[in-house]
Amino acid sequence: MLYSVKEGFAGLFRARLSTMVTISIITLSLLVNGVFLIFTINSKKVVDSIQDRIELEVFIDNSYDVVKTDQLRERIFSIQGIKNIKYISKDQAAEIFRQQFDQDIFEILNENPLPSSFQISLLREYRTSTYAESIIEKLKALDGVDDVVFRQDILVTFEKYMNIAYIVIMSVGGLLLLGSIFLVSNTIKLTILARLELINIMKLVGATKSLIRRPFVVEGLFQGIIGSSLAILILYGILKIVNIEVNNLIIINDEIYLILMVLGVFLGLSGSFLAIQRFIKY
Amino acid sequence: MVHLHNISYHYSSGAGLSSVSLAANPGEFVYLIGPSGAGKSTVLKLIYMDIFPERGHVIVDKFNSMKMKKRYIPLLRRKLGIIFQDFKLLYDRSVYDNVAFVLQVTGAKKKELKKRVLRVLAEVGLSHKRNQNPIHLSGGEQQRVAIARALVNEPIILLADEPTGNLDPVATEEIMRLLEKINVKGTAVLMATHDYQLVGGPRKRVLRIENGRLL
Ligand SMILES: Nc1ncnc2c1ncn2[C@@H]1O[C@H](COP(=O)(O)OP(=O)(O)OP(=O)(O)O)[C@@H](O)[C@H]1O
Ligand SMILES: [Mg+2]
Repeated sequence: MLYSVKEGFAGLFRARLSTMVTISIITLSLLVNGVFLIFTINSKKVVDSIQDRIELEVFIDNSYDVVKTDQLRERIFSIQGIKNIKYISKDQAAEIFRQQFDQDIFEILNENPLPSSFQISLLREYRTSTYAESIIEKLKALDGVDDVVFRQDILVTFEKYMNIAYIVIMSVGGLLLLGSIFLVSNTIKLTILARLELINIMKLVGATKSLIRRPFVVEGLFQGIIGSSLAILILYGILKIVNIEVNNLIIINDEIYLILMVLGVFLGLSGSFLAIQRFIKY
Repeated sequence: MVHLHNISYHYSSGAGLSSVSLAANPGEFVYLIGPSGAGKSTVLKLIYMDIFPERGHVIVDKFNSMKMKKRYIPLLRRKLGIIFQDFKLLYDRSVYDNVAFVLQVTGAKKKELKKRVLRVLAEVGLSHKRNQNPIHLSGGEQQRVAIARALVNEPIILLADEPTGNLDPVATEEIMRLLEKINVKGTAVLMATHDYQLVGGPRKRVLRIENGRLL
């Protein structure tokens, strides 16, 4: 084991040029993957903010007084999936009307016809059309609820696009990763070709397949770590600059750096493992 | 210990071996002599199971070519010492590391490793050059490093394929004396060569091969 580590480490310096090429390829692959990941995370934030706006409006029986309205609120809260309930009084409804139409409702009618209502937001995991439907059913069955308004069509369309987007993102991500593995493994293959003599001598003196492979995989691991460190540094730098130029344009979770490191290690390991495979056959 | 039973083997070119049988016993010194292209290297390749016969079978120690699984080949090779005309050394590390390498890749203990490498380097007379890169050594010295590497695993037989092919007469003489010394100490030697002048001496057996057939 110690031998493999030493040998793998020495390998980095023996073939300096191909080591640098391999590391650059890993760094590049990770940068592409990283940018893709940031793009995905940021679109998710946009999606979440749209989903936050998905609300139900529950209109309250005109005859309900403050006490009864309060009791109704309690009953609504006991339904599963409710996150938040905001009360809109008749006066507030009239004010909202005035803001939207630039006209006072009292100018049209003598009295305020707008009912008081609850604006209800749902817990995140209940924001699907199926859950929303069952919650609406339960709301409608309550005494004191006149009507429930909900833009279901928006949610359904939104869900459809989300599913398509999900499939596209997963396939693009998968292809990117496969492409990266292929690219890295082929680059490492060039390194190995330069050291066929070493492999042949190892076979001659009776090294097992796994022992021949190990130093190369260790070398791949080192290259993966160096490659991802570089990618992390570069990405961190770029994001810093962009976010200073344009105030916090891009949202970054720090986990992305961890993901890149794991990805780099994975690329180095799998790339070298695949690359050496053909050459260690007896 | 090493047996070839009625071997046939042919390359795609058509050249190869036909009905070759031979044996090398423990402690023996056997010359395999014949002109270029006769099939000497092919015989050695069959013994270290780089190739497998079309007909007949090869037995080396407890390994039989007919029942051989690929994953046993490393175990077989550890029982053999092999040297070539072109030394096949690693020029990215010292003499010591060239020899230690064998024990590292076959998983020997570190303390044992050092002792064995130094002992075998002393045996071939290269203790003082252990820290040099073999590229700075003469051909004869490089072949001695290769011999040390072949011996460090204490093989049952040393296979030498034209070991003096790249050496001047003085170095050739030196290597021949070393091989003899190793043989006297108990290691069997099978040496392939086309140099008839090298062949002979007490307690040595000579096998002649021509056109893929043993004479
Ligand atoms: N890999 C190969 N593919 C095709 N033909 C081969 C191969 N290796 C050897 N041969 C042919 O097989 C015959 C025997 O080869 P071999 O290497 O055993 O001869 P040799 O006695 O060792 O000769 P030399 O003294 O030149 O080393 C030769 O005619 C050679 O051309
Ligand atoms: Mg030959």
